[in-house]
Amino acid sequence: MQQAPGSFPAGRKAMSRKGPLKADLIRRHGIVVLLEHWAIAVSGLVLVITGIFELPIARRYYITELPGLAWSGDYMTSLALHYAASVVFVGASVFHVVYHGIMGHRSILPRRGDLAESWQVIKGFIGKAQEPPFHKYLPEQRLAYAAIAVIIAGLVASGIVKTWKNLFAPDMDYTLVLWATWAHNLFFVLFVLAFFAHMAAIVIKPNRPLIRAIFTGRVRRDYAEHRHPLWFAEIMGERGGGTGEQAGASPEDGEKGDNFGLDAQEGNGEPAHDKGGS
Amino acid sequence: MKKARDGEGISRRTFFKVFSGAVVTGAVGAPSKAAAARPGSFATLIDLSLCDGCAGRETPACVGACRTKNEGVVPEPVDPIPKPLPRGRIEDWSKKRGVKDRLTPYNYIFVQKAVLRRNGTHETVYIPRRCMHCDNPACATICPFSANHKFESGAVVIDKDICFGGAKCRDVCPWSIPQRQSGVGIYLHILPTLAGNGVMFKCDLCQDLLMEGKTPACIEACPQKAMLIGPREDIMAEAERRAAAMGGHIYGKEENGGTSTLYVSRIPFEELNAAIEKGPGRPHLDRVKRKMARTDPVASAVITSPVVGLVAGVALAAGARLVSRREEGHE
Repeated sequence: MQQAPGSFPAGRKAMSRKGPLKADLIRRHGIVVLLEHWAIAVSGLVLVITGIFELPIARRYYITELPGLAWSGDYMTSLALHYAASVVFVGASVFHVVYHGIMGHRSILPRRGDLAESWQVIKGFIGKAQEPPFHKYLPEQRLAYAAIAVIIAGLVASGIVKTWKNLFAPDMDYTLVLWATWAHNLFFVLFVLAFFAHMAAIVIKPNRPLIRAIFTGRVRRDYAEHRHPLWFAEIMGERGGGTGEQAGASPEDGEKGDNFGLDAQEGNGEPAHDKGGS
Repeated sequence: MKKARDGEGISRRTFFKVFSGAVVTGAVGAPSKAAAARPGSFATLIDLSLCDGCAGRETPACVGACRTKNEGVVPEPVDPIPKPLPRGRIEDWSKKRGVKDRLTPYNYIFVQKAVLRRNGTHETVYIPRRCMHCDNPACATICPFSANHKFESGAVVIDKDICFGGAKCRDVCPWSIPQRQSGVGIYLHILPTLAGNGVMFKCDLCQDLLMEGKTPACIEACPQKAMLIGPREDIMAEAERRAAAMGGHIYGKEENGGTSTLYVSRIPFEELNAAIEKGPGRPHLDRVKRKMARTDPVASAVITSPVVGLVAGVALAAGARLVSRREEGHE
């Protein structure tokens, strides 16, 4: 039953049972991507909270009197926690760029036409147009990735300047200190806004099947087939004219290499449905 | 399919090995020492054996000179001063500008008096107190808006135009030196009842005079020549020389990780500390450690974390490619 791209609801009906069998799932993210995402997400949230406590607000607003939050008024404790979360945040961010850069993973980078296509997708969300067929990522996701990458780069660069100053150069050039401080503060605000936008995106109903992927690495096969037909075609090997198995066997091909399940799948997600079911 | 699964298992192990190895590498390579003062910056010496508190004068010369020099620094507070929510705690010194026996937003130096009974006699020691201008001042480095900064001269200076008066600097200063005046400053133009509460004020070592090659007002005014300023190395050496000559003691060299203000006294500072009046605006003479030092190791780890990420990324990518080539070779 071949359906038009974007006609996912019909596909959902076909899946009407308690929960999908593993046979109905395909791999979208490998363990590397999942670890990167959650390392950055959890450390990022710790950074936001401890960063807020670097402002003199915890005692003023009685936050210190809330159960378990007495530490919030101690700047040295919140700073130590902020640093500790930064180690994870910065390390994971640099790892992400280096690893995927070397592996040639490009599917989440913005492409020409993403802005126009995003508008089309938004119209799709409100029922004014039909969604275009998607690659692995929605054009919005590619643009959001670029935006959060710029924000994280700004936070990391300014944060490292501030840390260096705290440790080794309290008399660093004042202009540089002011730039780093205010860039850090500005990117903090943008990071919080980006986080809320990220959460808002999963409230939108058609996006919800993707939630499973960021926890388990897998999405429902019918969802991928109908909403991400371009990606699905790739992983099934249709683009190269081969089979799904063949498509997964070429790690040299940046878009297709699945790195042994480590971070499936730039292009080719392992068709992970165990034939015969589970 | 089996092969892919095996490959995944190997790569997971490789990933964790590489990551833990990189973390260890980063930790070993981390710098371990925090900043010391820059050679060539200024330091000051306060010789308590020379200060007599300007006996006979209504106001000690250093205090008077400082007040004259800084007259008009604090803008006129708005009236009424907005009540900061939710606590409503306003710190208004504008009606008590004449206070000279403690630090206030209008008084950046005062003279403490210690009366001690030693060897059967009473001794009085006068101690001019102001900002110590620490070598690595937490008040400046963790100001959320960088309104407070340590300059190459050694002076730690608050920019009253961008200070919100949150008093974080006073909280982290071991001597609680900065003093708040509510009802002035930039916070009035943003969210006056919700964020900020004025501007913090303290001694700036007369940074403007230093830049002109002149001497800070308090030092210039001292009739006893009890205060000196000079290149840090010279002042350190002079403090050691004087302390050795009088069989005395130094305060400020090690305190809070080192400062640019060295007190020299014949009488141990522990005894002086016990004899002075302490409280808000009247700092102690305890031997204090630098509180922020406990964050240094993890701050060093932050500095090395990009290297850890880089090494782990390169290693895992190289490992992934190696395994894939082997697998191709087997096919």
